[in-house]
Amino acid sequence: MSMKRRDFLKTAFLAGALTGLGLEPFSSLAAKGKRDTARKMIILGFDGLDPHLLEIFIRQGKLPAFARLWREGDFKRLGTSIPPQSPVAWSNFITGTDPGGHAIFDFIHRDPQHYLPTFSASKTEEAKKTISLGNLVLPLSGGEVTLLRRGKAFWQYLEEYDIPATVFKIPSNYPPAPTKQRTISGMGTPDILGTYGIFNFYTTTTAEVQQDIGGGRIHNVYVIGNQIEAKLPGPVNTFKKDRPETYIEFKVYLDPVNPVAKISLPGEEFILREGEWSGWKRVEFPLIPTQSVSGICMFYLKQVRPEFKLYVSPINIDPAKPALPLSTPESYSRELAAKFGPFFTKGLPADTSALDSDILDDREFLIQDDFVLEERRAIFEYELKRFESGLLFYYVSSTDQRQHMFWRLLDKNHPAYDERLAKEFGRAIEHIYIEVDRILDKAFSRVDKNTILMVMSDHGFSPFRYAFNLNTWLKENGYLSLINEWKQGEEDFFLNVDWHRTKAYAVGLNGLYINQKGREAEGIVPAKEKEALVREIARKLESFVDPATGERPVRRAFVTQDVYHGPYTQEAPEIILGYNQGYRVSWASPLGRIPKKIIEPNREKWSGDHCMDPAVIPGILLTNRPIQAKFPQLFDLTATILQTFGLPQPPEMRGKPIFKEESWAKPK
Amino acid sequence: MGKAKVKLDKDLLEKIKKYAEISGYSSPEEFITHCLEKELAKLEESDSEEEIKKKLKGLGYIS
Repeated sequence: MSMKRRDFLKTAFLAGALTGLGLEPFSSLAAKGKRDTARKMIILGFDGLDPHLLEIFIRQGKLPAFARLWREGDFKRLGTSIPPQSPVAWSNFITGTDPGGHAIFDFIHRDPQHYLPTFSASKTEEAKKTISLGNLVLPLSGGEVTLLRRGKAFWQYLEEYDIPATVFKIPSNYPPAPTKQRTISGMGTPDILGTYGIFNFYTTTTAEVQQDIGGGRIHNVYVIGNQIEAKLPGPVNTFKKDRPETYIEFKVYLDPVNPVAKISLPGEEFILREGEWSGWKRVEFPLIPTQSVSGICMFYLKQVRPEFKLYVSPINIDPAKPALPLSTPESYSRELAAKFGPFFTKGLPADTSALDSDILDDREFLIQDDFVLEERRAIFEYELKRFESGLLFYYVSSTDQRQHMFWRLLDKNHPAYDERLAKEFGRAIEHIYIEVDRILDKAFSRVDKNTILMVMSDHGFSPFRYAFNLNTWLKENGYLSLINEWKQGEEDFFLNVDWHRTKAYAVGLNGLYINQKGREAEGIVPAKEKEALVREIARKLESFVDPATGERPVRRAFVTQDVYHGPYTQEAPEIILGYNQGYRVSWASPLGRIPKKIIEPNREKWSGDHCMDPAVIPGILLTNRPIQAKFPQLFDLTATILQTFGLPQPPEMRGKPIFKEESWAKPK
Repeated sequence: MGKAKVKLDKDLLEKIKKYAEISGYSSPEEFITHCLEKELAKLEESDSEEEIKKKLKGLGYIS
């Protein structure tokens, strides 16, 4: 194979760079191009794995693979992002920058023209050119989904040097960044409705109907002659002028004697016993005669009598027929689906909303989360087996989701602690640590002297006992004004806010914005007065004391101009709040509701969290090499990847390699 | 541009004429058009708010 001039220059540069570092040149280690690198990296990303808990479980002898990695290599706390939210933290890792370099500041951003929250991770636009034919609207050009994360991903750098990478489910990569590498999107991937996930629940219990449940729809159904007729809602039909919601009709036949039901979908029938899950079922939503959308969902027959209760999971994008982009190459999701059948594609796979709203109980949620784990384990073993060179990144979400939902049963001081449930499910978090220990154990089988094995998490965890209504604090301190005082707490989206008398407002989980003249639609704070105001608010927030506990809910109020670097710093919120242990922003504040009390107890099942001060919830870093860096941070790992493969570090990357230059070849 | 006639109560029409003049509109039609556009904008906005809520609700971190 002939080498192009560009390839020759790259190889020449690499050889020079490595010789300078005292390492054996890359080419002499039999790196002959794609799929033939001698140096290898396996990185396991366990979302939210907490160093404090990890150390306890290791010392108790429950995590032999982690103990081995620590013994043979190193274990340190890993500095997380500001704020320590997964989309932000993983973007730090992906790009080697901080939010000023990748423009992801929160799960939720805001549109300054309308003060409305927006998705931070991606933007979906419908076809700009359409043609109307009767009641039909036919697109003349394709719609578009755009990844809003800026900056180049580390696997794109590797690709430039023909170093292969497989990146499985890394968050903040939906739609997947263009590359020839094998990638599949993770957190940020929507369900088929384009949402973070909406389940459907069918019940004859009238008390359960009409509830405004976050992340779910409840349908009232009637049993007539042991038969139920129902509809499963699908995506909006953009091919029709009035954009009706699509749906498929299905029937449920109840056994007159036994707690069993037959579910009849178009083209498929199956029988479920009470308490049984269906496994994945394909559902097809017709749009126009030549077009339909395919999704996958699971049915769970919760109860047959006296009241009927049927849960249907959020409808995931079908990896075998993806209606939206899921992977690079496009065929990768189909390849996995052909080998393993349907699998969870929604970014946050386990249905925490269903557990939080008591549609699923603790046991049922854990069963569903076990399905996620089983799938992940099987695909991991497949990828591990065929891993020959370059880099393999593998991600597990269950560590994060279980800690969010079950922290209440670890923490006797939590407002949602329940002694009876703690006896039964108090070890749910410990169990997930044991599960990922088994995944790590498998990884050891592919590690040789030329392989770096790394386990990392994006942040740790902390109890979430008290909810801080940041917009209410702003109001109480004279920075935010209402139109009608008597309507306080009733409306989302700042509908009751008098913008002409409002200097600051909060959107998202950690962000606070100044209502700046010329930037916000009804901004009043001149640019020249902004900095003084920002510092004044930050100072006051840090000195605020919760009268009930005597603690400071806000440990740090970071002024983003001070802590971010890079071209997107100007787009950031002015202040990022770093909450103290036990505190987090309230449930209402992120979408612009202003409840009456500043602090409220958190009685929800969602009881552990990490949207706090980065200093109180570092992540974990274990490797099979000694870690030279005293306080390694997420963006240091990106620099380490480039160093491992002998690539130059681009100037926009903030991090520094965590290993001594020659240490990678010398395991302890 | 196509036009359509709309029937209004006589008393209401008189009020519209009076306030259109006081407010400086060039005609009652302009005043009515402006009022309707404002109301429609509100409705369209609330649609998008509902849409946002629906999209974000499953996130777990918010209610």
